[in-house]
Amino acid sequence: MLILRAFSSEWVKLRRRRLWFGAYGAIAGVVVLTTVVTIAGAASSAGHHPAGTLTLATLSRATGLSRGLTQSGVLLGAVALSIAAAQFGGEFSHGTLRNLLVRAPRRASLIVGNGLAVLSFLVGAVIVAAIVDIGAAVAMAQVRDVATGAWTTGSAMASLGQIVGDMALSVCGYAVVGMVLGVVLRSSVIAIGAGLALLLPIESIISSAVPSTARWLPGQLLDSLAQGGSAQASFGAALVTTSIYLAGIVVLALVAFTRRDVTT
Amino acid sequence: MVVPELDTLVRPDDCRRTPPGECAVITTGLTKRFGRRVAVDRLDLAIPAGSITGFVGPNGAGKTTTIRMLLGLMRPTSGSGFVLGHPLKEYRTYLARVGALIEGPTFHPTLSGRDNLLVLARLAGLHHRVDPVLDRVGLLRRAKDPVRTYSLGMCQRLGIAAALLPDPELLVLDEPTNGLDPHGIAEIRRMLQSFADEGRTVLVSSHLLAEIEQVCGHLVVIEDGRLVFQGSVAQLLAARAPELVVRTECAEETLRLARIIEGVGRTARVLREGDAVTLEVGADCSWAGALNRLAMTAGITVVHLAQRDSTLEEAFFAIMGSDPRPGRGTAGDTGTGTGGGGGSGTC
Ligand SMILES: Nc1ncnc2c1ncn2[C@@H]1O[C@H](COP(=O)(O)OP(=O)(O)OP(=O)(O)O)[C@@H](O)[C@H]1O
Ligand SMILES: [Mg+2]
Repeated sequence: MLILRAFSSEWVKLRRRRLWFGAYGAIAGVVVLTTVVTIAGAASSAGHHPAGTLTLATLSRATGLSRGLTQSGVLLGAVALSIAAAQFGGEFSHGTLRNLLVRAPRRASLIVGNGLAVLSFLVGAVIVAAIVDIGAAVAMAQVRDVATGAWTTGSAMASLGQIVGDMALSVCGYAVVGMVLGVVLRSSVIAIGAGLALLLPIESIISSAVPSTARWLPGQLLDSLAQGGSAQASFGAALVTTSIYLAGIVVLALVAFTRRDVTT
Repeated sequence: MVVPELDTLVRPDDCRRTPPGECAVITTGLTKRFGRRVAVDRLDLAIPAGSITGFVGPNGAGKTTTIRMLLGLMRPTSGSGFVLGHPLKEYRTYLARVGALIEGPTFHPTLSGRDNLLVLARLAGLHHRVDPVLDRVGLLRRAKDPVRTYSLGMCQRLGIAAALLPDPELLVLDEPTNGLDPHGIAEIRRMLQSFADEGRTVLVSSHLLAEIEQVCGHLVVIEDGRLVFQGSVAQLLAARAPELVVRTECAEETLRLARIIEGVGRTARVLREGDAVTLEVGADCSWAGALNRLAMTAGITVVHLAQRDSTLEEAFFAIMGSDPRPGRGTAGDTGTGTGGGGGSGTC
């Protein structure tokens, strides 16, 4: 019951117009940019290319429609992590958490309800991203003369649906990391900084120094999820490992949140 | 709930005897430590139900920390207590009947006043209360504006509106007058009175006694985390004996008289205001004749002799053990500065 109330309470904050324009705008921008760059950079079909090079022929297949979306996993994740960390850390930074806790003293239910609301907001953002991606891909296909016959088939839709699903899972994972950091570090700015530093530069330094670690690094795994499996980890392996990681840090955050004094 | 008759100063022992139910808030030995610093030190509170209780103490006295413990935001290091008849540990039960403004109002600046309240109201299924409480604090017309466009006074009122959401039996308002001009403070005082008239218990903190004393029937004074005084305003006034105010023809003689008075075992405080020197003698008017005879014997002419009852503020500072007002020695001290030079008066 309180979880539902906390969910609807959080949505009052999430429906801010600024946040909509900011978040959905950032996400749409990321996706448009990735799609444009991906399709513009594709090699024309003639001639020989090294394996793995994206060609216009590949783009004209059913999966071509959602190619840009697939590529924007890490950036979408970074946006999601930042929004989630700001939303949770902000309660501490603004000093508004104490007001919430007087009205909803069951702290675990409060935070779970609020968290689910943030996730629902971000899943919405992924759907927006998919719609924007379709627009950008179709427009770019005109520019580069990509045959789009396969994009309107059932299998194109199925592949798009699957990618949106994978992407939503991945974005939720990033968001959970952001929320946990917000709660544990009790500041939106510090949480965003720590999260982005950890998932982007620190991880790439570790994984390039010791490539075998890539299969275990949370950021890499979340990216594998977004792509529906990658060279580092299959989708299933990524799903299992990230679930274990996330469950662990969520328990940590819940314990910290329910036990610590509220001093802001 | 019964309002207890607090005829006498409430001492720690009385607190323990006060059965839960007669007081809105009772604590026994409530203590909070942050590392080595003791923020709240064995506090025994007894807040009568239905009263407006002023919770007064200088900055850093421990008011907010105490309030946070009462609201389940901080865990006491030791001690126990009851709020609205429930033990402190059961804060999840009693908080539904408590409204609070803690350490000044905090809101999301980009959300409107109404949406800020809605965030809180939805948590407790209180949507229907949002507009009535906005109306109550006079913010209904500005409810759609983002909070960042509000004045400080409006923010304080929005904070009070948030506290009113659950139609609370106990209202805890931490420094609701902070930063307000005299007009704003008077307005808050009127609100406090109206809340009490509706039968609510109001616990209101301030570091300035004068801001809230007019409406408080009951006072709790703390300093350095410790209880300094607890009781009615009348009791606070009674806590300081009246004084004789004495002036002579010149400063030098006044200082000499002070030494004579101390010689017979009375206290005499020297107050200097420019060239004028005044004595405050620890005695009531029944000793005025004796004082006059002492002066005459010493060849000193008394030009002013009157009894003065202490003001509330003086009583307050007497209890706090310090008087920051200029020209004042340490209140309650015995005969400060009688031998000190600096008297520039010439006969
Ligand atoms: N989270 C904390 N960590 C460490 N010390 C703290 C913390 N919160 C409060 N204190 C200390 O506890 C003491 C009491 O602080 P508190 O905020 O309760 O005082 P206050 O009476 O509300 O003061 P003010 O009138 O300035 O609001 C102070 O010495 C303060 O430094
Ligand atoms: Mg305070």
